Amino acid sequence: MEALTDNALMLKVRSGDIDKLGLLYERHKRNLFGFFYNMSRDPHNSEDMVQTVFIRILKYKHTFTGTGSFGAWMYKMARNVYYDHFKKLSRNGTKQELSQMHLKDVDVESPEELLYVEETQYQLNTALSRLSPKKREVLLLCKYRGLKFSEVGEVLGCSEGAAKVKAHRALQELRIIFFELEKR
Amino acid sequence: MEKKNFEILAMDYLSGKLSKADREGFELFLSENEAYRNQWEAVQTAWNNLDTLETPEPSAKMDERFFDMLHMETSKNETAKQPKFWSRPFHMTRLQLAFGMILLMIGLGLGYFLNNSGANVGQKVVSSDTEEVRQKLVLTLLGQPSANQRLEGVSEANKFSGVDEQVVNALLLTLNHDDNVNVRLAAIESLANYADHAIVRQGLVQSIPNQESPIVQVTLANLMLVLQEKKSVEPFKRLLKEKKLDTLVKKKIEHTIESII
Repeated sequence: MEALTDNALMLKVRSGDIDKLGLLYERHKRNLFGFFYNMSRDPHNSEDMVQTVFIRILKYKHTFTGTGSFGAWMYKMARNVYYDHFKKLSRNGTKQELSQMHLKDVDVESPEELLYVEETQYQLNTALSRLSPKKREVLLLCKYRGLKFSEVGEVLGCSEGAAKVKAHRALQELRIIFFELEKR
Repeated sequence: MEKKNFEILAMDYLSGKLSKADREGFELFLSENEAYRNQWEAVQTAWNNLDTLETPEPSAKMDERFFDMLHMETSKNETAKQPKFWSRPFHMTRLQLAFGMILLMIGLGLGYFLNNSGANVGQKVVSSDTEEVRQKLVLTLLGQPSANQRLEGVSEANKFSGVDEQVVNALLLTLNHDDNVNVRLAAIESLANYADHAIVRQGLVQSIPNQESPIVQVTLANLMLVLQEKKSVEPFKRLLKEKKLDTLVKKKIEHTIESII
């Protein structure tokens, strides 16, 4: 079963067994899409960016040494894809707008409860979108994508301690924005 | 406590990385420092709020585009590996070409005289025959009453170079219905080799509710964890509702579900 870990599969891709990328894609596509979606709130562009990440994984497969985790290596690439994408948009003068909320079917008992859940999710998404991308990404990586802080540090190019401090400060700011939205 | 140290400890606490003693120490510190406690409560609320973050599912088009790209890359790779046959004669000197032609003529002559023209075809037939014989052997061995022979059948199945649908079905049947635990475990190990095929993963997921042996349940849980197979969460949840479930297995499955989600 060792042969099926992310790192083992990526090393096989690196040595030319490209088909194994399919398994890595199946394993990570939802998380990766979720990362881009929560960064940009744009489902269409998020799908494009997932595709770009896997194209880059193939292009730069020789740089994967297997010493760090595949997750950290992939999210480092994903982060670059995200910033490249929005740099290109701003160069072209395109303004990114928040898309409509795409809520999943939520399990609620009454219309009032549904309204409350939708309201909370709306506030959370709005609060997240008001954070700077750097702060948003640290929260998405450590909480939502479940990377360890050592891996978050690897993705962001800082120490594990610095990643924790960044996450703490982003949470503080998120709480303040959330509180302001609740007051309205 | 320095602000930075407090921030690091708070994040360790939230991500569940603190030991019991450190956690108690941190809680004691908070109870004695109101300013830090207020800050902590705000951060903890924000952290818990992030649990409600929802993401839509990506569309099927995304999968389609990815697998088209992968297919293209795989074919490109295979073409690149093949030598450029037609370009070679143009880089040869006349002498090399003449020498090559002479060798070809000698080869053809020898071939004619030795009357061995069917050798290549024969080789191909032998190779496909071997696969066919092996397939029959696996199917026969898996149907034997002796567990040793069935184990031999599973190990024979590991020798296939690609996926053979009939063999995969036979292995899944073994996994679901064989009386012997060792044979079922060997079937899981064998099927794990083909885990990048959807049909195999689907079969493994469907077999979860059929398993009663704790060791088989744990092995399947380990495999699903490695594969990060989200479709296994539902069958595992159903298994958790079984009253007879071993306590250790229960913990293992709960951990697996948490890690997969």
